[in-house]
Amino acid sequence: MSTAPAPVELERPEAREEQGADRPWVAIVWNDPVNLMSYVTYVFQTVFNYPKAKAEKLMMDVHHKGRAVVANGTREEMERDVEILHSYGLWATVKRDD
Amino acid sequence: MAHIKKKRGGVQMRLEPAEAALVRGLLGQLLEMLGDPPETGEGLAALGIAEDAALSDDPVIARLFPDAYRDDGEAAGEFRRYTELGLRDGKREAADVVLATLGDDEAARVDALLDEGQARAWLKALNDLRLALGTRLDIGEDWYEQVGALDRDDPRLPMFAAYDWLTAVQEDLVHAVW
Repeated sequence: MSTAPAPVELERPEAREEQGADRPWVAIVWNDPVNLMSYVTYVFQTVFNYPKAKAEKLMMDVHHKGRAVVANGTREEMERDVEILHSYGLWATVKRDD
Repeated sequence: MAHIKKKRGGVQMRLEPAEAALVRGLLGQLLEMLGDPPETGEGLAALGIAEDAALSDDPVIARLFPDAYRDDGEAAGEFRRYTELGLRDGKREAADVVLATLGDDEAARVDALLDEGQARAWLKALNDLRLALGTRLDIGEDWYEQVGALDRDDPRLPMFAAYDWLTAVQEDLVHAVW
C-alpha cells in the first residue's frame, strides 16, 4: 500500500480500516499451538501488506487474547482473505462485525 | 543438520539425505490424505466448486480445511463448496514444489537455491506437515513438557522428534525469507 501514488494512498489505507456501514465484516485469526509466532507475523505482512510493527501487534493479540480481527471489509473481501489465510494454514473465520 | 541461509537470489536449502527422506515420507502421507483432484471437465467440479462439503471427521483434514464461519453452518458449507477444492490443489502444489526440490536420489544431499515462490511453497508445505503432525500428537502450548513425560520407548517419540525438527527448519526459513 505504501508504494501507491499519493492521491490513492490517501484513500486506500483508510478504506481498508474503515468501519462504515458498507464494510461490516471482519476476518478473525484464532490462536493455535502449532503456528509459529514468526510465521504468523510473516503471513500477516505477506497477505495484507501490513508493516512489520502492525503484523507483530496482531500476532501478539492472537497469541495472548486467543484471537484478533486482522482485516475488515465487505463479506466477499473477508471471505477471500480467509481463504488465503487458510492456504497458509492459519485458523481464520469470517464474521459480521457487531 | 539442515542449513538454511538467505543468499542473493533466494534461500539456500541444504539437507542431509536422512532429513530429505523424512520430508519426502511425510509429504507422501500428506498427499495421500489430500487425495486426488476430482475428474475435471464435468459439472461444478470443473469450476472448482464441490457438489457438497462438510467439515471432515478426520481431525487433520478438519484442521487443514477449517470452517470459515463458527456459528453459521450453512455459510460455512457454502464457503467450503467454493474454496476447498482450490485449497486442496494449492496444498498439493506446495508439496510437489518441495518434492521437486528434494529430487529422487535418496542417497544424495539436497543443496538447492529456492526462489521466492519456491520458498513460500516450502513454508506452506512445512506448515501443513506441522499442522498434521501437531494434530495427530495433540500438541499443546506446553508440548515440550508433554514429551518429557513420555516413556523412552513410547512409539510417538519419533513423531515428536520429526515435529521438533520441522519446527526448527520452518523457523529458519521464515527468517531467511523476511
